[in-house]
Formats: sequence, C-alpha cells, structure tokens
Amino acid sequence: MRKLLTLLAFVASPLTAQDFSEGSEAKTWNLYAEVPARFEATVVDVLCELTGDCPANCGDGARQLGLVRTADDVLVLPMKNSQPAFTGAAEELLPFCAQVIEVDGLMIEDEDLAANNIYLVQRIKAGDADWIKANTWTKKWAKKYPEAKGKGPWFRRDPRIREVTEREGYLGLGTEADAAYAAENF
Amino acid sequence: MRGKFKAALAVMLAPLALPAAASEGTRIQVTGEIIDTWCYYSGVMGGPDAVVGSAHHTCALWCSAGGIPVGLLAEDGTVYMVLKIEQDAGSASGDTQLSLAAHTVTADGMLYERDGLNYLVVSEVISDMDIVNTTHEDYGTVPPFSFPDPNK
Repeated sequence: MRKLLTLLAFVASPLTAQDFSEGSEAKTWNLYAEVPARFEATVVDVLCELTGDCPANCGDGARQLGLVRTADDVLVLPMKNSQPAFTGAAEELLPFCAQVIEVDGLMIEDEDLAANNIYLVQRIKAGDADWIKANTWTKKWAKKYPEAKGKGPWFRRDPRIREVTEREGYLGLGTEADAAYAAENF
Repeated sequence: MRGKFKAALAVMLAPLALPAAASEGTRIQVTGEIIDTWCYYSGVMGGPDAVVGSAHHTCALWCSAGGIPVGLLAEDGTVYMVLKIEQDAGSASGDTQLSLAAHTVTADGMLYERDGLNYLVVSEVISDMDIVNTTHEDYGTVPPFSFPDPNK
C-alpha cells in the first residue's frame, strides 16, 4: 500500500502547477493576470515544433518562437518583449534558436480568457553570459527601415502600417468612415 | 481491492500517456476575427470586447507589424494562434496576417493543441468579410491615441 501511494505521489507531481517565480526580478506591468516567472528553456520554432516544418535558423525571424521549459517540457509562447511599444518577442529570441537559455519575465495566466503559458520576456541569459534585456526590437526595425527615420514612435512611421491606414483608414472601414469619426470626436 | 488500485493507477497515468509534443493535427474550419493576441489576453488596453474590431484596428496593425502573434477569435470565444496563412509562414510581422488585421474570415486548416493553447495552420482563407465588428461605435478607438487628432 505504501509503495502504491509513493508511486501515485510520484506520478501526480508533474501534473501539478509549478511556481517559477523564485529568483525572478521581473518588473510589473500591472496586468491583471501577470505572474513573475524565471525559468530555463529551449528556444524553438513553434511551427516546426508542432508540424515538423523546420527551416534553418528557426525561420530567420519570420516565425513565432517558443520556449520549451526544461522543468516540465511545457511549450510557453512568448508574445511580448520588454518594450512598451507594441513589439513581440521573436526577434529577441532568434539569436538563441535551438539553444537552452534562461529567461525572466511575466507569465499571463487568465482562466476566464483561457490564457495559458503566455509570456512577456524581459531579460535573457545564455550560458555564462550576463543577463541581457529583451528590448532590441525597435533598433532592429530602424535598421530595416532606414527610409522611415524621423520623429515619433516607430509605429507612426512604419511604411507597411502607413500604407494600410492611408488606404483603409484608422478604423479600417475606409477614409469616409474616418472623416465622420473625426468630425464627431475631435 | 486490487481492482480499485488498478483503476486509480489508470486514472493517474492516463494524462501521461499523451506525448508532450503531440503533432497530430486536426482539420477544422472556423470563422472568426483576426485579433491582436497580446492586447486580448493581457488586458493592457482594457477588456476583451474593446480590443477587437474597428476600435482596435490600428493597434492590431501596430502589434501585427511589431511581431506579436495574431490569433483567430472564433464565434464561440476560442482563440487560435495563427502560425501560417496559406503559403505565408510569416507569423512574426508577416505581410498576409497584416493585411487581415481585424478582418473576419473563414479559415480551413489544421489545429494543433499544446499546453493549453490552440495553434492553427491555415491552409486556405475561404472567405474574407473585411471588418464587420464596428466596435468604435461603443468604445471609440482603443487606445484613443491610435486615431491621431486631425487638428494637431
């Protein structure tokens, strides 16, 4: 009987939710469902991980990258980097494709919205190197779009975004709808 | 007694029988809006009803171009993380997903479930209904500065 209980306890342990907040220095974003989380993981190309469609270097920045956590083999989806600028995490993780790294940031766990294993990565540590901040997206964007140099945040100057808003309007319903909205609200 | 132990053991072991990286996809057809998943899940801009449709169109463009994953929010509330649309595997700032921001579409593709999230590989966008969710009528624009003041 004791052996059986021991076996059951062993079997049950991986199924219980784990706390990854120990040692985290993640800064709060004051989000409703944020939980600090620091853990070791392997950087993967999510599409490759799920389907076997695996180009070189995790897709070279075109694809979403995931974090397969060492402790429990859970696939965590990092959606955000640490910049408050509408910027994702894939660019930050790409240099570490297929590598085991340590990350620190905020997990979003919201049962009401079925948000599971969603992550905002704030800093990254690879091997013996120092921690680096996951905040390089805008610099990489500026390098990619030198012609968009100017004042204001990147998202006001991005050529692709400008092309869509000039054609479809800010509401996406056409320029006439925008004009009516502006007349009513400004 | 032994039978009960076996039954209990079977219940405990059943979830472990599933491979961690199950790659068996399921073909589905689903209708919903292409959304900005970070604003939807994080609540950073407000409640989920305010960060969809025309109210959030410009912010959805920003986030999609910024490399944040897009999702398909189905009519039943399920969110599918979109990994590929037809031939375009650009799920981080790709052109196809950018062109569909806030659009309601019917998509045919393969569903992969992993660790509480649904991932969708769209083989075909069967129909694109453009933006049908006119949420700006209730919420204005979210965030408000996504519609620049024309007088400035």
